[in-house]
Amino acid sequence: MSATKTISFTLNGAPVTADVKPHHNLVELLQGQFGLTGARETCGQGLCGCCTVIVDGLAVSGCLYLAAFLNDGAEVSTVEGLDTPAKLSPVQEAFVETAAFQCGYCTPGFILMVGQLLDEHPDPDDDQIKHYLTGNLCRCATYPQVMEAVRLAAKKRKAGAAA
Amino acid sequence: MTPFELAEPTSLKEAIKLLDPDDPTIRPVGGGTALMLMMKAGVFKPVKLISLRRIENSYSTIAATGDGLRIGAMTTLAALERSADVKKAAPLITRTLKTLSNIRVRNVATVGGALAHGDPHMDLPPVLMALGATLTVMGPKGERKLAVEDLFAGYYETVLDKDELIAEAHVPAHGTKKAAYMKVTTGSADDWPALGVAVVLEGDAGGIKSARIVASAATDKATRLKSAEAALIGGKVDDTLLAKVGDAAADEAEYIADVRGSISYKRELMRVYVRRAVRAALEGAK
Ligand SMILES: Cc1cc2nc3c(=O)[nH]c(=O)nc-3n(C[C@H](O)[C@H](O)[C@H](O)COP(=O)(O)OP(=O)(O)OC[C@H]3O[C@@H](n4cnc5c(N)ncnc54)[C@H](O)[C@@H]3O)c2cc1C
Ligand code: FES
Ligand code: FES
Repeated sequence: MSATKTISFTLNGAPVTADVKPHHNLVELLQGQFGLTGARETCGQGLCGCCTVIVDGLAVSGCLYLAAFLNDGAEVSTVEGLDTPAKLSPVQEAFVETAAFQCGYCTPGFILMVGQLLDEHPDPDDDQIKHYLTGNLCRCATYPQVMEAVRLAAKKRKAGAAA
Repeated sequence: MTPFELAEPTSLKEAIKLLDPDDPTIRPVGGGTALMLMMKAGVFKPVKLISLRRIENSYSTIAATGDGLRIGAMTTLAALERSADVKKAAPLITRTLKTLSNIRVRNVATVGGALAHGDPHMDLPPVLMALGATLTVMGPKGERKLAVEDLFAGYYETVLDKDELIAEAHVPAHGTKKAAYMKVTTGSADDWPALGVAVVLEGDAGGIKSARIVASAATDKATRLKSAEAALIGGKVDDTLLAKVGDAAADEAEYIADVRGSISYKRELMRVYVRRAVRAALEGAK
């Protein structure tokens, strides 16, 4: 019953191997075997975005994604992979500078979704920002600051690309 | 979630063999977004899931055909949303996807799952029905064609056997037809709808030659409203005619009451939104 399978993939740039149970989701895998708690199961229903993980370049809800769906060789990124000890990512910096959070619980998910948005729309308008973030909920209601953070992050990314 | 086994066949044929027509604890899984909700809630406790994620890649692709689109059942909703072929042949689908759930769910959910779940609140069933889409269904005895219109048997029920899989959807191009889909959310803007109405029309305000009007969410399954369609055909489309069409739709549909509205409330929504959807189609919905 419930045979474990071994998957080798890349986690935040580093090669890893995990023993995955069929009924575990991606959040359980990341927390249980890798101690990564940036993606946290909250609504558990795909609605809030707190469990956002990037799999092969696409944002998914880790709460609804079976860990066994990962292919060998998959590339998985979480919020923990964005910064270096010396520097935050432009999106992280922008969230700090605009104070786009209060408790910070929702922040990892927002930051990863904003990364996706800016990869596709480096210069997003407000409608595009809202479209990308409809699936991210903030209990502290920092939405106006988040909008500001996205605009600032877009500027920072462009400046970074130009530099 | 309670433990279960996961099989990962590499072909559709193999997947069908692993299914069992008499065992409801064995189910196929596409993106898993709908099944996960049921498994987490404990409503569905599988013994075994048959993943379709490793079957032939051709079932995850979209192709423009002479008269429309061929869409593999494992195509994600995000791929559908981004496809230039879909936007060209069936822009109604592209528009519908913008407000279907959120990006993370669309990145994972599949066309086959959106149809086979038989959830009357979902958006693709009414839209594909109004567009006159058909399915290729595969089973142990081979393949059969099934109109999306004939797929739904009731609330979360389809006519598919437990060892049949949706392999492909075929969507006729809009051509010069006019199309609109409206969903009415009575809770928050992105809540499940109280009513969905999809309309595909041939003709113009001077006279409609053919019409397909489909209601969902307020009804136990996506349902064509044939008397409303009949009322719309022929005459000049003005307020009087639209009132008749709305009344016909309101009378014809069979409603379910839930947290999103009572039967009488949904009947009034139907009357109003069928009118609005016809107008939106004629005016060229954005
Ligand atoms: C947060 C959230 C919001 C949502 N909002 C919306 C919305 O606004 N509008 C909307 O329309 N939908 C919405 N949905 C529902 C979403 O569209 C469905 O969950 C999704 O389409 C199901 O696809 P899947 O591939 O994940 O299905 P799965 O969960 O894999 O499967 C669903 C069902 O279909 C069966 N199945 C899957 N593939 C096949 C196949 N090829 N042949 C036969 N049977 C098959 C499975 O056995 C299961 O019974 C939402 C979902 C979530 C989680
Ligand atoms: S916990 Fe996954 S979306 Fe809320
Ligand atoms: S900052 Fe508290 S939930 Fe968003």
